[in-house]
Order: sequence, then C-alpha cells, then structure tokens
Amino acid sequence: MVEGVAAFAHQFDDAEQQRTASNLGIWLFLATEILFFGVLFAAYAITRVRFPEAFAAASRLTSLPLAGTNTAVLLTSSLTMALGVHAAERGARRALVGWLSVTVALGCTFLVIKAVEYRVDYLEHLVPALNFRFPGPQADQVELFFYMYFFITGVHGLHVLIGIGCIATIAVMASRNAFTPAYYTPVDVTGLYWHLVDIIWLFVFPVLYLISRP
Amino acid sequence: MTNHTVTRPGVYIAVWLILLALLALTVTAAYMPLGWAKTPVNLAISVTQASLVMLFSMHLRRAHPLVKIIAVIGFFGIAIMIVLTLFDVLTR
Repeated sequence: MVEGVAAFAHQFDDAEQQRTASNLGIWLFLATEILFFGVLFAAYAITRVRFPEAFAAASRLTSLPLAGTNTAVLLTSSLTMALGVHAAERGARRALVGWLSVTVALGCTFLVIKAVEYRVDYLEHLVPALNFRFPGPQADQVELFFYMYFFITGVHGLHVLIGIGCIATIAVMASRNAFTPAYYTPVDVTGLYWHLVDIIWLFVFPVLYLISRP
Repeated sequence: MTNHTVTRPGVYIAVWLILLALLALTVTAAYMPLGWAKTPVNLAISVTQASLVMLFSMHLRRAHPLVKIIAVIGFFGIAIMIVLTLFDVLTR
C-alpha cells in the first residue's frame, strides 16, 4: 500500500473513507438509473396486463437466438470487467488494460449484434411509425409492444455505448499508469456502472423476448 | 468496502458460470408449458441473476451498510411504482 502522498484527497481522513464516499456516490447514481428504467418497466407492465395476447404474439416475432447470444456476451463482459477491477486491486497494470480492452470489445460485440437484430426487425416490417405491418388481429397493440421494444432496448443500448466510452477512457488512463492499489476509484466506479447495465439487460431480456415461445 | 478484502478471481468465474446456466434455464422455461407461471419463473431467475451480480461482482456483500441501503432503495422504489400503479389499473 502506498501511504500518504496522493492516496486520498485532503477532505478525507483516509483512503478507506474516500473509497466509501465514492462507492456511496456511484450507488446513489445507480439507484436513480434503476428508477429511470423502472418507469419504462412500469409502463410495460401496465400495457402488458391490458393486452396480454397481443404482447405474447409480438414477443414471438423478436429474435431469441440473437438476444440470447447477446445476453451471454453481456454476462461475459461483466466477468472481464470484474477481473479488470481485480487486476486494479492488485496493481497489475498490464492485466488491467487487457481486461478492460476485452470488456470494450465485448460491449462493441453486443452493439453489433443488436444492430443486426434491428436490421432483421426492419426487414420483417416490425419498426413502428416507419414500416410496421402486422397481418393478425390487434395490430395496434402489437405495434405498441414494438414501440416499447425499441425504446427500452434503444435506451439500454445508449447506456452500453456510454459504458464502452467510460471503459475505453479508463483503459487509456490505466496504460498511462494513473492507478495504484491505493487509488483505483475510477476503475471501481466504472465497473459498478457496467455491472448495472448488465443487470438491467437481465430484466429486459425475459420481459421482451420470453413472454411466449411455441 | 469496510474491510477491504479482495474477492478471488475463481469466485467471479464461478458466478459467471452460474449466470450462464441460469440463462439456459430461463430460455428453457420459456419453451415449457408453464402457463401463467412462465413470467414469474423468468423473473425469479432474473432476480437471482441480478442478486449474484450485485453481491459478488459489485461487492455489495462487503459494502458499507449505507451503500447496501441505497442499493435496496432503488429496487424498493421500482417495486412501489409498479405494484401501486397496477393496483390502480387492475381495479378500475
């Protein structure tokens, strides 16, 4: 442990207190993120209990192979991020940069697969207000599902994109020797954000893709 | 983060394997004839997965009590929002 110099800012008693403060701060932010997505899930829940058959029919039109793969990709990126934070705790700079780079690559993979999925949705005329077409009954309610599908996955994708930007920044900082075992708060905080984006997807996945499968 | 103990990498890998197994389980459940229980089963698996990520990957297990409270408040807020809204919608 590096003691004293630059291990913590002057308003803190010690490095431990500083760590707890930053941890508290990021969790407070994460709680607001949970509430932000909570509103979307609440809107989803209300609409689904009103139109259960339409939501089941709409869910069958989504691509489970692509979304399932993406879930595995995101879970794996959460592992590599955790291993990155572990490397930071030990002060293993090369391992830290390596794990962060893998995490960025996996985040990009997620977005690419998501883009492929959107393209499939477009070709199948599932994009509301653009080319939506549904031959069966309750076409308007099915379209409502797809409004939510694109909004929820779109906002989540934006969070993934922001996460990738943060992790890439941290990777550059790490390669310039910005962190020590006594101070690696940016790595820790970015990791917590990335895990939360993962957790949100763990709920998005079943409610959009798994409602009703044949 | 009160006692700054480091989680071993093996723990993260074990959690990852369990998370992937739960993913396979939730997809399998979606294809089974569970009727009304399908969504509750899917969501229970999601809650289990989210708990594992929070306790181990996000180190909530060894977090300061205040941090634990804030983490719980976020999910508690959602629960209130969804449950009370549904009470209104379903009883009209």
